[in-house]
Amino acid sequence: MLCVNNTHPLKEMMKIPQIKEALYLSTCNRVEALASTVDAEDTVERLKRFIFHHGNLSVEEMERCLYVYFDHEAVRHFFRVASSIDSLVMGEPQILGQVKDAYRDAVENKTTGVLLNKVTHHAFRVAKRVRTETAIASNAVSVSFAAVELAKKIFGTLKERTILLIGAGEMSDLAARHLITHGVDRIMIANRSYDKALAMAKDFRGSAVEFDRLGEILQDVDIVISSTGAPGFVINAQMVAAALHRRKNHLLFLIDIAVPRDIDPAAGMIDNVYLYNIDNLQEIVDENLKSREKEAEKAEAIIDDEVLRYKHWFRSLEVVPTIVSLREKAEGILKGELDKSLGWMQNLSPEQRKNVEILTSSILNKVLHDPIVAMKEESQNGGVLPYIAALRRLFKLDDG
Amino acid sequence: MFYEMDILLYKVALIIYLLSSAGYISSLLVRRVLVARVSTWFLAAAFTIHTISILFRIVERGPSPAISFPENLSFFAWVMTATYLALQLKTKTRVLGTLVSPVVFLLMICASIRLGGNIVLPPVLQGWLVPLHVGLSLTGEALFALASCAGVMYLIQDNLIKSKQVKGFSRLLPPLMDLDKINHLCLLWGFPLLTTGILVGSIWARTAWGSLWQWDPKQVWTLLAWLFYAVLLHQRVALGWKGHKPALLSIVAFIFLLFSFVIVGLFFTTAHSFI
Repeated sequence: MLCVNNTHPLKEMMKIPQIKEALYLSTCNRVEALASTVDAEDTVERLKRFIFHHGNLSVEEMERCLYVYFDHEAVRHFFRVASSIDSLVMGEPQILGQVKDAYRDAVENKTTGVLLNKVTHHAFRVAKRVRTETAIASNAVSVSFAAVELAKKIFGTLKERTILLIGAGEMSDLAARHLITHGVDRIMIANRSYDKALAMAKDFRGSAVEFDRLGEILQDVDIVISSTGAPGFVINAQMVAAALHRRKNHLLFLIDIAVPRDIDPAAGMIDNVYLYNIDNLQEIVDENLKSREKEAEKAEAIIDDEVLRYKHWFRSLEVVPTIVSLREKAEGILKGELDKSLGWMQNLSPEQRKNVEILTSSILNKVLHDPIVAMKEESQNGGVLPYIAALRRLFKLDDG
Repeated sequence: MFYEMDILLYKVALIIYLLSSAGYISSLLVRRVLVARVSTWFLAAAFTIHTISILFRIVERGPSPAISFPENLSFFAWVMTATYLALQLKTKTRVLGTLVSPVVFLLMICASIRLGGNIVLPPVLQGWLVPLHVGLSLTGEALFALASCAGVMYLIQDNLIKSKQVKGFSRLLPPLMDLDKINHLCLLWGFPLLTTGILVGSIWARTAWGSLWQWDPKQVWTLLAWLFYAVLLHQRVALGWKGHKPALLSIVAFIFLLFSFVIVGLFFTTAHSFI
């Protein structure tokens, strides 16, 4: 595991002389260093040293975790990372935000240029495509999110719903928090220890209720999350049936996270009551994970397609094709203008017409001469990319 | 020069209803809500053209009492679509169209078989009571049809959630509460409309047949269905029935109503048949 350190990684990377552009992404379980360089092999060795220097594992262990990609394979990898195909939990949404942060950091430190700007923006587009065209991120892959999805399936909007949290536990806590972020606006807390309930209520900004009033409280809540350490049922079927009668059959969603169970399974047979226990929720999560893997195949196809597009763009960044298309564009304009002037040129003698054509094309050549020579010179020096990019942008050479 | 324009527009609407139905059904097959969203636009387009077709009919042939069976069906389909589209704006029940749209399409197909042509009204059916009776009753019944569509979908979704099968199909279906709300609203509005429709009908019957009530099969079946709905609405409003039970009952009640609407009309000798 590599984690936060004090030195500024981007500055360290830029100290490697061959590196022209750099981007550094560090999350809890990955470190990525992206660089554009004029000498790949030498740079890789130096980058390795940089990474090893900052890690807290032995060199052998580091070597095992390390992967190195070049050129479009590196781009493919970056696309996969941004689209969350490469994540531990495939499709998790945080990674894109982390890539965006890393990019912002690089831009602020002026370590990006033509290549990384293009690649990163392209990666954002790919991530968006993967998100909208596949269902990779659409199904809950954690128990607490599965609970939120179910609640929405039952109640539609979660606004104006009330949760009752019975007992304490990491998972029930998380589920309650997710429900709150999805609109639930009232929470009640019951605990065998009333003091603990009060403390939790303060934390959740809810209200504490006495444990022996559970049956009564069921009347006023819509979602119950229970995770006590009790050996027997905390909520039995009669309590639920009676509460349902008093609440005029309003739908009731019971979530039993406890082992052994807190809620009598018979309660789930009552009309308008939906009971899910931790195993049911876990099954949903497992199935969703499986379907994400299927979606990942679609995502890989999208990424293949986008890498191809990237390759196409990258090839256009060579000097000769750029000069050719610049010439083609200029000559196209010249021809178009001459055609437009055909009307009045009718009055000229063939010789005069010839002279006009010679005049215009020599102006064109003179104008283009210096930029083309400059480009050729820069390509000898290795710093031609920004010029090509600028030229293509200024003369709109990429729009067909 | 506009002659037959209504028929032409009706056929166009029919085709778009078909496209919308096909779209809704394929949205279930490909499991994409986007397809259903496009189908909703098709449904709205079909509805607009259907409306224009009805307006043309009124302009060409004068105000229609919607007395013939095809006209009834067309009007029924029109009310159902209008109500569904209006409710669609308020709730997340897009996929409900998968039931509504094909039902509307079938109604339109049945209606199209004998549509067109001028009907010569017997003098007994002239006046404003008959169109009022037909309009109110049909609107009420169309709302009940929509309530039962929501009921069917409620039962499917309820069953899927209860049996813990929530991954594929269930994901597309609307939330239970929204379906229950539609079921409730349609019953709540449909009942007074049908009631008024029946009352207006019996006032007319008093002038035409000389008595309010005749023990006619159509009247009996409709009354049975009406009683069923009265009980259902009472349970819902006064006793607070929600969800599973009213969904089931609204389907049973509608089957009664359908019986009086279709079967009695076609196979029984009834004084309620005019043309």
